[in-house]
Amino acid sequence: MQGNQKIIDGLNTLLGYELAAMDQYFVHSQMYLDWGLTKLYDRISHEFDDEKGHATKLIERMLFLGGKPDMQKRVGYLLGETVPDMLKSDLRVEYEVAEKLREVIAVAESEKDYVTRDILMILLDDTEMDHAHWLEQQLGLIDRLGLSNYMQSQL
Amino acid sequence: MQGKPEIIKALNEMLTIELTSINQYFLHARMFKNWGFEALNEKAYKKSIKDMKQADVIIERILFLQGLPNLQMLGKLFIGEEAEEMLACDMKFQHAQIPQLKDAVALCEEHRDYVSRDILTEILDYEEEHLDWIETQQYQIEAMGIQNYLQTQIEED
Repeated sequence: MQGNQKIIDGLNTLLGYELAAMDQYFVHSQMYLDWGLTKLYDRISHEFDDEKGHATKLIERMLFLGGKPDMQKRVGYLLGETVPDMLKSDLRVEYEVAEKLREVIAVAESEKDYVTRDILMILLDDTEMDHAHWLEQQLGLIDRLGLSNYMQSQL
Repeated sequence: MQGKPEIIKALNEMLTIELTSINQYFLHARMFKNWGFEALNEKAYKKSIKDMKQADVIIERILFLQGLPNLQMLGKLFIGEEAEEMLACDMKFQHAQIPQLKDAVALCEEHRDYVSRDILTEILDYEEEHLDWIETQQYQIEAMGIQNYLQTQIEED
């Protein structure tokens, strides 16, 4: 089905964010594994799968709408070097993705593409309630327990 | 069965305390949960639910005694901003509740309402147990430091 170009462009912009988030989680998860922080590895590697799932949804929808998914672009990719920096950078990406999702949802609403809107809503819910909330919790725990204790609890 | 007005009044006061307690512990539970302290969440959540069951028993007893259970009244909630302060607030609540429960038990004894007395002593037993649990937490915080203590509260027991 031929889709509206505005929607396809919006989906491509979002794809750039999701791909960046996916790459970032991928590398971060491997860093945690390398450092022996197994619990963080498990969680972040699960986030990597989630982001891949999000990217899949966007690609599927774009192909269905007759668009070309742009797999080259990455927006907002920034690796951290320490555990708190890695978590902070992941959280920043989640906030950016959420903001962009809200913009594209508004476009989908105004263009009456309700199916795309529905798909994006699921992504937004994951982004806010699952990913961002968990990251905020970890940064809160680091504040409350101290970094050493926090890391000890992630072995 | 027609109950004594003094007893019904005392039971209504205990009901107000339970209703207040439900709210304080429920909010504390969900604050702990939001911060990722699952064990503390679990403990406070269960306390809140237990308070609701106690309120239920009191309501049924008041109705049985042909009184009117007052569910409008709510006492002051003591809400902390950090785990340690929250435990201190709960302690303050328990310290206020227990003497009132004891007075109510004595009143029931005086009026020979042994069934109401029994209901209240059962609640008293539980409330003292909870106070003891808070004391244990405060001892642990003192002994190991707040950061180590909180580390032990991340995951559910």
